[in-house]
Amino acid sequence: MTPFLSVLTSVVAWVVAMLVVASVAVIGPARLRETWSGLRDRLWDARRAVAVVCAVLIASAVGRPPLLDVSRLFGLQATAFIYGLEGGFVAWVQATFATPALTAYFSWVYVYGYAFLLAFPPVAYLALPRTTTFSRVLVAYALNYGIGLVLYTAVFAHGPRNVMPDMVTPLLFTTQPDVMALTSEVNVNSNVFPSLHTSLSVTVGTFAVLTHEEYPRWTPVAVPLSLSVVVATMYLGIHWLTDVVAGFALAFGSVALAYRLVEPRSDPGVPRDGPEDDQPPSEPNASD
Amino acid sequence: MTRSISRRAALAGLGLAAASAGCLGRTENIAGRDPPEQLTLEINATPADADPNGIRIARQLEEHLTAVGIDVRLNTVGQTDLWRKVLINQNFDLYVGQFVETEPFDPDALYGLTHSRFVAESGWQNPFGLTEMAVDDLLERQRRAAGRDRDDAVDALQETVCELQPFSVVAFPDALTAVQESRFDGWTEDRQPLSVTGLLELDDVAADGSGGGGSATNASAGGVETTTDAAAADATGDALRLVTTDDRITENWNPIAAEYRNHGTFTGLLYDPLVRADGDEFFPWLATGWERVDETTLDVTLREARWHDGEPVTASDVAFTYAFLRDTSLGNVETPVPTPRFRGRSSVVEGARARDESTVRLTVADVNETVAARALRVPILPEHVWSERTGAATIAGFEFDFETTEAIVSNNPDPVGSGPLRFVEATAGESVAFERNPDHFLVRSTPEDDADASGETADPRAGVPSRYHGKPAFDRLRIEVLPSDISAVESVAEGLADATVSNLGPESVPRIGRSADARLVSGRSAAFYHVGYNVRRSPLSNPRFRAVIARLIDKTAIVDGAFDGYARAATSPLAASSADVPESVAWADGSDPVHPFFDDGGSLDVAAAREALREIGYRFDGEGRLLSRGR
Repeated sequence: MTPFLSVLTSVVAWVVAMLVVASVAVIGPARLRETWSGLRDRLWDARRAVAVVCAVLIASAVGRPPLLDVSRLFGLQATAFIYGLEGGFVAWVQATFATPALTAYFSWVYVYGYAFLLAFPPVAYLALPRTTTFSRVLVAYALNYGIGLVLYTAVFAHGPRNVMPDMVTPLLFTTQPDVMALTSEVNVNSNVFPSLHTSLSVTVGTFAVLTHEEYPRWTPVAVPLSLSVVVATMYLGIHWLTDVVAGFALAFGSVALAYRLVEPRSDPGVPRDGPEDDQPPSEPNASD
Repeated sequence: MTRSISRRAALAGLGLAAASAGCLGRTENIAGRDPPEQLTLEINATPADADPNGIRIARQLEEHLTAVGIDVRLNTVGQTDLWRKVLINQNFDLYVGQFVETEPFDPDALYGLTHSRFVAESGWQNPFGLTEMAVDDLLERQRRAAGRDRDDAVDALQETVCELQPFSVVAFPDALTAVQESRFDGWTEDRQPLSVTGLLELDDVAADGSGGGGSATNASAGGVETTTDAAAADATGDALRLVTTDDRITENWNPIAAEYRNHGTFTGLLYDPLVRADGDEFFPWLATGWERVDETTLDVTLREARWHDGEPVTASDVAFTYAFLRDTSLGNVETPVPTPRFRGRSSVVEGARARDESTVRLTVADVNETVAARALRVPILPEHVWSERTGAATIAGFEFDFETTEAIVSNNPDPVGSGPLRFVEATAGESVAFERNPDHFLVRSTPEDDADASGETADPRAGVPSRYHGKPAFDRLRIEVLPSDISAVESVAEGLADATVSNLGPESVPRIGRSADARLVSGRSAAFYHVGYNVRRSPLSNPRFRAVIARLIDKTAIVDGAFDGYARAATSPLAASSADVPESVAWADGSDPVHPFFDDGGSLDVAAAREALREIGYRFDGEGRLLSRGR
C-alpha cells in the first residue's frame, strides 16, 4: 500500500470511529433514529445548501491546479511581507512550547482531529428537526472554501517551515512523514494565506457555541478541539500567525454571511414550531 | 515610502505657512529635495521544500543585512519562478542558488557566466550584468593561451572575479544521496552520484547472477506495457526508480530552457553531445573523433546514430545545432535570440557547415584545445524537429514582443534526441518515465562476428570508455515527485525507490542511517551555492558595496550549521575544479582570504560592518538605517 493510501485509510477509520461515538453521545440514539426516517425529506429541504457545497468542492478540486499557476505568475508575492510583519513568532512558539507529547497531540489534531471536527457538524445538524442550521453550516463551509480559493489565488506565499528551516522544524512531517503524502495531495506549500484549517475549525467552533442549547455536549468538545487545530497550524510550522488571523476573519465572516443568506424558514405549510427548534431569532448572533 | 510621503506632506503644510512669511524660495529649496530613504534589498530563494540549503544561506544573509541597517525582503519562489526572475527577466536584487554544472568544470565556464558581451541576453550567460573590461580581457586570454600562460590567465581571472564579486561563492555542497543498493550498485562516491556519467556507470545487481533475473527479463518488455501497469512493473522489474522534489522534469524536457533545467542530468541522457567529459578526460561520444585542421577550423566526424524517431543523425543536424544555439530564430526574429543555456561554450563556434553526411566543419575562434573540446559538449538537436520552432513565440496565435522563440518556450513534448534514454510518458507534477534506447551505440553489439560481411564497419563504440559499454544498466528510468526531502528519503528507506535525486537537508541524513537498507552516498558537487548580485542596480553596481555584503556572509557557520558539515566553504568558483586555485583566493584556516567575514567571536561584528560601509561612502540615519539615494 502506498503511503498515501495507508494514511487515507487510517484517517477514514479514525473519523468513522469518532463519528459513531460522538453521534451516540452528543445526538443520542432517539434523535438518530428519527433522523434516519426523515433523512430524505431533510436533505430535500436543504437541497440548495447541499448543491452549493458540492459545487464549491468540485470547483475547488478542478480549479486548484490551474489557479495555482495563475497564483504563481500573477499572485501577490506575500512571503516577504508576512515574514517582515511577524518575523519569528512561529519559531518562538516552537522554541517555547515544543515537547514530544505536544507534538504528538498537535500532529494528531491537525490531521485526525480536524477531519472529525469538519465531519461531525453536518451529521449533528442534520439530526435537528429543522434544516436551517444544517444549511447554514454547509453554506459556511462553502464560503470558507470559495473565498479561501480566491485568496489562495490572489496571494502567493510560503509558510514558516519553508522560510525559516533553521528555526522552524516541520514537526508534522518529521514525526509523521507519511502524512505529507496526504497533505500534499490536497494542498500545496504555497497555499498558506489564509489558513483554511483555522477558518473551518473556527467556523465549527462558532456554530458549536451558537447551537449550545441544542447540543450542550458538543460545545465543550468542539471549542477546545478547534482551538487546538488553530494552535497546531502554527506549532507545526505550517502557517504564519498572519494566516491564522486571516483564518479567524474568514470564519466569522462566513458564519455571519451564512446566517444572513439562510433565513429560518417560517414554513407556512408546516406550522408546527417544535420547542426543540432553536433558530437564533436575530442575526447579530453571528458574532460579527 | 509612506514615511517620506508624510514628511513631504508636512513640509507642504509648513511651506504654506512659511509662504505667508515671505520665505518661499528657501522652503522650496528644502521641500524640492527627495529625502533619503532606507536601502531596501530583496533576497530571492527557493522554499525549504524545494531546496533545504539555499534558504538557510538566504536567512543568514537576511539577518546580517538587517543588522547593519538594510531593509530586507526575503522572498521565496518556486524553482522555475526563481530562475525566470533571475535569468530571464533579470528582475532581482540578490538571489541564492546553485551553479548549473555538477561535475568539476573548466575555467572557461566563467566565460559564459561573466563576459560582458552577453550583458543584453537572457539566460545563464552573465545573469549578473557584469561589465568589466579586466574580466573580459582575462576571459579572452584564457581561451587563447595554452599551458602555463593559460594557468596564469586563469589565476588572474579568479583573483579579479573574487575581487569584484559579481556573485559570492558560499560553499561547494556534498551531493547527499540516499540509495538502495539491492538492485543497482556502482554509485560514484567521489563526485555527484546522480550525474549523466554517474547514472551510466551504474551496474545491475541482478545481472551479476543473484536472483531476480527472471523478473528482469519480464520488464524488458516494459516499453509496451500500459500506463497503469508501468508503475507496478517498475517496482519488480529492471527499472531504476528515482525520487525528487523537483517536478520540472515531469513537464518540460527542453534542453535549452534555462528556468526548467537544474543540472540538465536527464536531458543530458536524452540528447547526446559530440564529446563527453569525465573529470579531465574527454572522449568522443556522438562524434567518432575531431581534428584541428588549422587554428580556426575543426573537423568533426560523426558516429552512425539515429534519432529516437528513426531518422538518421547527420552532419547537417550538427551544423544546424550550432547555428541554432547562436540564434534560435535563425533570422526569423529581428534581433538574434541566443540560447539561454550552453551560450558560453557554443559561442566558440562561429560557423558550421556539413561537408558530407557524417563530417561537419566548424569555424572556431582562435582558442586552445581544451576550450575547443568544451565547445563540442553541447546537446546535438534534430534539425527536423527544432527548425519548426524558430518563429517568434506566440500565445494563442498572437505574437507579443517577448523577444523569444518557440524553441525556448516550448516544453519540448515527446522529446526526440539520440541519447541512451528515450522518453516514454509523464504525468505533470507527479512522475516521468524514460526507457533505454535499444538503438543507441552504447548497446549496439560489437560487429566482430559480422565484420567480414559489412566490410569496413568499425566498432560502433570506438573511443568510448569501456565502462559505458552496454549501458545504461536499467531498462527503464522512472522519476517520481515527492513533497519534501524527508519523504524522498523515507521512500528509499522503505524500498519504494532506488535513490534520491534532489538535494537533501542535513536532517534527512540520520534517517538514512536508521534505515537498514538505505545507504548514504555523497560526493562533492561542483555546483557551488552562491549569492548572485544584480550588478545593473545601484548600489549593487558598486563593487565596494558588494565586497561588504560578501563580508557579511559567514561561510564557516553556514557549512557547519546549514549543511551540518556536508559542504566545503570556498572563495573561488573553481575551487572544485582541477584548475589551480592561487593561494590568494584559496580558502584557508576557516577564513576567506579576499572578503573575510566580519567576525566577532562567531557572530557578526555589526560595528565593523557599519564602519566599512561608512568608509566607502554610505551613511546611516540616527536609528542606524542605511540610507540610499536614487533607487
